[in-house]
Amino acid sequence: MKKEDTVKLISEEGFEFVIHKNAAMVSQTIRNMLTSSGSFAETQHGVVTFPEIRTVILEKVCQYFYWSLQSASGNKTEFHIEPQLSMELMMAANYLHT
Amino acid sequence: MLAMYIRVKRSKTTYFLQCDPTETILDIKQKLHALIDQPVNDQRLILVATSEVLDDSKTLADQKVENDAVVALTLKKDDNEFEDVNIERPEDFVPTP
Repeated sequence: MKKEDTVKLISEEGFEFVIHKNAAMVSQTIRNMLTSSGSFAETQHGVVTFPEIRTVILEKVCQYFYWSLQSASGNKTEFHIEPQLSMELMMAANYLHT
Repeated sequence: MLAMYIRVKRSKTTYFLQCDPTETILDIKQKLHALIDQPVNDQRLILVATSEVLDDSKTLADQKVENDAVVALTLKKDDNEFEDVNIERPEDFVPTP
């Protein structure tokens, strides 16, 4: 895995998650940012900041991206979501088109 | 095909690494080297669930490092000792079972 193949997602509290671009592109919103030919700074630096997404939620979102890739390749495990996170997670998923 | 991934944590950063149960810890350190420019000899990996220091020559499966496992990364300091495990959490962090 090369550094150029990763993207860094930064949460509200400034925590960083470095994930593979393939995983990040499970989100249509991030895919658009990374692949657009326009002037998104994100495209050049591979860094996306989410000032409105808490760290616990963003980590869960990243775990979901990888789970999604695994389930696309045949893994049948369930994705566990803590009930107290579900509402915020849904809002984040809606924003990210995930 | 994505067999598994692990979450490598140090300070406020988490690296999601795609890997295979048959890969060795040295393989994992080489992947980290590509991301953080730290030589493999300056890295130490610790399985957080058991506090076990992971052995370069053994595989992930050998040492019960499973999908979604959290592994702490520590680096060698100037005095040639390894730093302590340092994983920051947001203030509202609630451990989940």
